[in-house]
Amino acid sequence: MHLSRYWGIIFYRTLAGIKAESRQNYLGYFWYVLEPLISAAIFYFALSRVMQRGGPEYVLFLLIGLTSWQWYEGSCLQAATAIKSKVHILLHFDLPKFIFPLVSVLVSTWKFLWIFLVIVGVSWAFGHPPGWHYLYLPLILGCELLLIVSLALPLAVATSYVNDTLTVAASCFRISYFVSGIFFDSSKVPASLLGAFYLNPMAGILESLRDVLLENHAPNLHALLYGALLSCGLLLAGLYLSFFVNRRILKHVGL
Amino acid sequence: MSASDPPPLISVRHVGLAYANPLARFTFGRDRRIHALRDVSFDVREGDKLGIIGRNGCGKSTLMRILARVYDADTGTVEFSRQVHIQMLSLGVGFEGSLTGRENAVLNGMLLGKTRTHMLERIESIKAFSELRDFFEMPVATYSSGMVLRLGFSVAMETEPDVLLIDEVLGVGDAAFAEKSRQAIIERFSAHGTIIMISHDPTIIAALCNRSVWIDQGRTMADGPPAEVSAAYLKAVHGG
Repeated sequence: MHLSRYWGIIFYRTLAGIKAESRQNYLGYFWYVLEPLISAAIFYFALSRVMQRGGPEYVLFLLIGLTSWQWYEGSCLQAATAIKSKVHILLHFDLPKFIFPLVSVLVSTWKFLWIFLVIVGVSWAFGHPPGWHYLYLPLILGCELLLIVSLALPLAVATSYVNDTLTVAASCFRISYFVSGIFFDSSKVPASLLGAFYLNPMAGILESLRDVLLENHAPNLHALLYGALLSCGLLLAGLYLSFFVNRRILKHVGL
Repeated sequence: MSASDPPPLISVRHVGLAYANPLARFTFGRDRRIHALRDVSFDVREGDKLGIIGRNGCGKSTLMRILARVYDADTGTVEFSRQVHIQMLSLGVGFEGSLTGRENAVLNGMLLGKTRTHMLERIESIKAFSELRDFFEMPVATYSSGMVLRLGFSVAMETEPDVLLIDEVLGVGDAAFAEKSRQAIIERFSAHGTIIMISHDPTIIAALCNRSVWIDQGRTMADGPPAEVSAAYLKAVHGG
């Protein structure tokens, strides 16, 4: 009974988050498609025409990396403040603390799915039509979603206790941004550093997305499996932590 | 209490709770926490209308949050004799401005512990009680504060908890709705359900409750019939 109630709350809150975000702008949901299209056009103009650094292929390569990273980093950092920002609700109802970070991730995910559809369309337009390897896409995106959720929960708990966690996490994401393979692929990484490169699960996820969308071949399943196992471990730890602090955490939030 | 009496529905024993002090991060072993509750004990029996009385800052709201299972007590115990659905009367808390009154009624009911199906079955009576008419299908962001309270109250009245926790709220909204909501609460007090109400006004406690507990500086000072407890409380307040 509790689980169905919690899923109901998550569903309605996600719906509210999506509606609220679209109503903030005059063009509403249209921005979901327009924003990545504008980004693609800017990259194309800046990289292909102005800087003469690679053609449409590199633009697509970058677009896949940047948008997937934005989903990952944006979701985690927004979810990190989800418990603090909803403390006025949590002080009135006995609710598990994973609900609001999860809602925050789902709202970002809904937006990303639209962006991803645009990327698929742009890839097709630049000579990469969908192939049977597209069947791997739900698996890859599922792995990234699992990674996001597994990081979001402990981050939200830690930020509720110590606000400085958010600044530390943002710095870690910034460092990771430059070494996850957004701007380069694994062939540019020295052989001696490849092991360390793949320790970051986002490296395997970004590479897998490009394998399917640009190269039309199967993703790096070993890297995905490693990321999924790491995420499952983090998720279990995060859930344990969340249940452990469930009725203690609000005494510290907002102080 | 005789040996044949059923066990209390809620048993609160020596409960204490302290908040972290934001101005004392480095305490060097000293206890700089803010003690909201130090030693509170009382029982709540099935059907009790219990009034908790005390001055502002005596720990009443903290106690409510412990009873609503928002906080665990730092010390002492709170035991329930069975699975109990406890609900704080929180009007309009958790409403989402972008959702309609109908959607918010379902969402708020789920926050209060009910399923979506339960809320959908009662949605028309919530609409009727709230008297929001066509506004019920409009986003809550378009409501006045009085309309938000109407919707919140109407939802709360349809959730039927085992124990209702009321924090100083009796009537809400404009004059007509305030009277209607006050009557609805008073009806709750005359029904079989268990109610715990906090207030700093002894006349309200004396009028509505069959038992009263007085809390001062986080400690139970008196527990008994409302008239006696209120008299002791008033004597202390007026320095008698």
